[in-house]
Amino acid sequence: MLDIFINIFILLTVPFLMIGVIKKTKAFWSGRKGINIFQPFWDFLRLLNKETVYSSTTSWIFKITPIINFSVIFFASLFVPMANGLAIINIPFAFIIFSYVLALGKFFTLISALDTGSSFEGMGASREACFSTLVEPAFFIAIGSITALTQNYTFQSLKLILENAGIYGYLVITLAIITLFIMLLIECSRVPVDDPATHLELTMIHEVMILDNSGIDLALILWTSAIKMFLFASLISALIIPTGLPQIISILLFLSIIFIISIIIGTIESSTARYRMTHVFEFVFIMSITALLILTLVTYKLYGN
Amino acid sequence: MDMFFIALGLLLLGGIFPFFVNDNSKIKICSYFAGLSTVVFVLYSILVLLTGKPIIANIYLSSLFGNVNFVIDALSAFFILIISVMSFIGIIYANGYLKSYIGKNKFNISVHCFFLMLLIASMIGVVTVQNSLLFLILWEIMSLSSFFLVIFESDKKEVISSGIKYLIYMHLSVIFIILAFALLNIYSGSLNFMDFSELLSKNKHFSNIVFLLAFTGFGIKAGFFPFHNWLPDAHPAAPSHVSGIMSGVMIKTGIYGILRILYLISIPSKLMAYTVLIIALLSSMYGVLYAITQHDIKRLLAYHSIENIGIIGIGIGIGLIGIVYNNPVAAVLGFSGGLLHILNHSIFKELLFFSAGSVYKQTHTRNIEYLGGIIKNMPYSSLLFAIGSIAISGLPPFNGFISELLIYGAMISGLPAPNTTVFITIIVSLASLAIVGTMAILCFTKAFGVMFLGSPRSEQAANVQNDVEKIMIIPMVILAFFALIIGIFPQYAASLVLSPVSLFIQGEIIINVFAILIQLLSYISLLFFVFILIILIITGLKFFISKKSRQYSTWGCGYDKPNNHMQYTASSYADLFVSTLKPMFKRIAHIKKPKELFPKDAYYEVEIEDIEEAYIVKPLLKFDEKILSKFEKIQNGNIQQYILFGLIFLLIAIIGLKYFG
Repeated sequence: MLDIFINIFILLTVPFLMIGVIKKTKAFWSGRKGINIFQPFWDFLRLLNKETVYSSTTSWIFKITPIINFSVIFFASLFVPMANGLAIINIPFAFIIFSYVLALGKFFTLISALDTGSSFEGMGASREACFSTLVEPAFFIAIGSITALTQNYTFQSLKLILENAGIYGYLVITLAIITLFIMLLIECSRVPVDDPATHLELTMIHEVMILDNSGIDLALILWTSAIKMFLFASLISALIIPTGLPQIISILLFLSIIFIISIIIGTIESSTARYRMTHVFEFVFIMSITALLILTLVTYKLYGN
Repeated sequence: MDMFFIALGLLLLGGIFPFFVNDNSKIKICSYFAGLSTVVFVLYSILVLLTGKPIIANIYLSSLFGNVNFVIDALSAFFILIISVMSFIGIIYANGYLKSYIGKNKFNISVHCFFLMLLIASMIGVVTVQNSLLFLILWEIMSLSSFFLVIFESDKKEVISSGIKYLIYMHLSVIFIILAFALLNIYSGSLNFMDFSELLSKNKHFSNIVFLLAFTGFGIKAGFFPFHNWLPDAHPAAPSHVSGIMSGVMIKTGIYGILRILYLISIPSKLMAYTVLIIALLSSMYGVLYAITQHDIKRLLAYHSIENIGIIGIGIGIGLIGIVYNNPVAAVLGFSGGLLHILNHSIFKELLFFSAGSVYKQTHTRNIEYLGGIIKNMPYSSLLFAIGSIAISGLPPFNGFISELLIYGAMISGLPAPNTTVFITIIVSLASLAIVGTMAILCFTKAFGVMFLGSPRSEQAANVQNDVEKIMIIPMVILAFFALIIGIFPQYAASLVLSPVSLFIQGEIIINVFAILIQLLSYISLLFFVFILIILIITGLKFFISKKSRQYSTWGCGYDKPNNHMQYTASSYADLFVSTLKPMFKRIAHIKKPKELFPKDAYYEVEIEDIEEAYIVKPLLKFDEKILSKFEKIQNGNIQQYILFGLIFLLIAIIGLKYFG
């Protein structure tokens, strides 16, 4: 029971801090003082108090999308192992439910972008839809291969069994971390796939889809995307943290990994530029390649002799 | 069983009655009769599905047929349930849809009603009869009556040509089925399915050949790649209620045929498992890829039927692999997923066809590029289309998700596989199903977004005043309700498929697997309630916190007079994806470049042709034409000569029989 409360507490607080840490890191690399790491949280509160402007072209789809999206991400987070490597809900095939629930959110984001009748937002939607067709299969290949090793279909048990698989297990873990990290960059629209801080609509992917959202809607969307990034970071940390540690150490380790990931993201954003749209595909394919490498390793481990 | 035949008779009676009443009440009469018979059929099928015991009637028809078995076993019952309920819903919808055709001389409503009822009756017949000759006759009646339904708007040239294409494909299909049955008949000396079963389980090579023939034949009907070409032409040509019934129900008889043959074979071989799985994987990918490129909403939906038939096939294929490699969990989950997807697909595909039909009725266009913004004037139809889109994309908490989850579950429980081939096959299927899912999302966000959202892209869309009438909304609401109920109470839906699945998998283990499955699904059902609760809480909170709001125009970089043509269109939405996969498509561009100093008109139009049709079917047809044109001379319009040809043929046939028979 305590685990659940810890998880929910972390879920509600840490995502904004992650954004804060990323912004702080970027400020550090560009030699600025930067914002307080709690600033995203204050921004959120400020947005809650603002008036909402709806385009006269939009319909109810546009209004419910932020709600659906937030509910989706909250629901999906129940399946992700967080502090102490425990997920709130542990059922077989959790990763399928996880990715399909996230896809429901994506469905609404896409149609809400088309609802505004804006050419920019249609463009963003087109890009997002196209990239996600390439991300999902790689994710499924990676997770599918790993489940073949473990025979247990919950996120949580992955780690334990991988550790017992010896050198192959560690190789698979490393590759899985790379796959998930690339997936994080794509799904959460970070550099080099997308630049959340850009000012030019033509180059955006995710940001451009929410151009018309304002006030409480925008607040919800920002929170949603922060939590989404946090979830992928938690999946990565669930693969790193060794099993069998005392609870308090495990939680501390979890938090520090989350912040290290944020720092890495911040550093990448300061040191590289966004790819050209055509090159984004090549980046997305790296993920497929790491997924296929996992598949090869697992195949070798299972049938090599 | 008597009541069953009475219900069949009622259907036929409902088809004949409309000839004697006035135009307005024709389809109404049909719906009463269909409703009555549906009650009977549903009772029968529920009874069989619950008890698992087949109902058998043995009737002596004539010396030709011998004793004919009519059997409602669990498999038939499952299909009867789908056929009767879904067709009935389609007929209710037709009450509204046909209204604009009434009173015009060129449309013969009575004939349409007759063939509609005949189609339903023949479909019910096909899934119950266990005699191969009668099966073929009913199969042919089914194909012909649906042909007459397709060519309802026979004054249009393209309708006739797609109708004829459909007819040709159907007869190609029946040739293979006849071949399969003829082989069985020759070696068993009987017409009854029961006797085939014994023969098929004995000889492995023989059963492989029969299966491949039957799979080709039934696969053409079901719309498997590479025999899918009739679907995208026939569906747009037919009126919407017919497209709904054809896509939702009729193509499933092809699946029924495949399942029946598999049931008769009882011990599937590796060849069968891999054939089904690979063809199904190709179909699902091909269907959704081409759906993305379509602008005609009904063509788009037709391509999605190919995709969904593929998903059903993937379920069955994984199930077969489970049986072949002795993994009962994968077998049970695969078959349940496949069978449940048959039901689910009939629900959301009808829903989509009907709501697309409503849009067609109000705007008179099927081209989604001319639509947009109609969500404001057609609120119900658009909500229903949205529900259909979410369901067909396999997203929770609707029914499509449940069947896809079961199929994924089957794949994962097939891991770790007994050898590398199976392992790679399963992983490839896993990735394919995932990519099909995301492409479906791309396709339906395009369809829904461009059709209903944004601002109107043409006069037709701008002039829509109101939604369609109640009689068309109600059937769609029922379908949407089904989609939601199966989604949030999957455990009950899964128990529907328990008895049909147990026909294919021997052993006690199926009960245990099913118990675990039901337990898991009840848990998922609970989770969906949590999900809905979360949505309600967040909505409430948002309502509570939110400050005042106002309306303004869409952000356009400071330009606040955006016009309709600045929006993203369906083509531009799909373009990034389509251009990434260029080699998969054949693009035909129609360009008229601007000329002169003051150019008047110019256009650029891209059409995407089915590569299978362009590179395989058309060259074959050309080749065919080349040879057959040599025989043109014998078609001279002289009846005496035709009679002579007939006589010569008979003579050759008799001589042939004498020497080889």
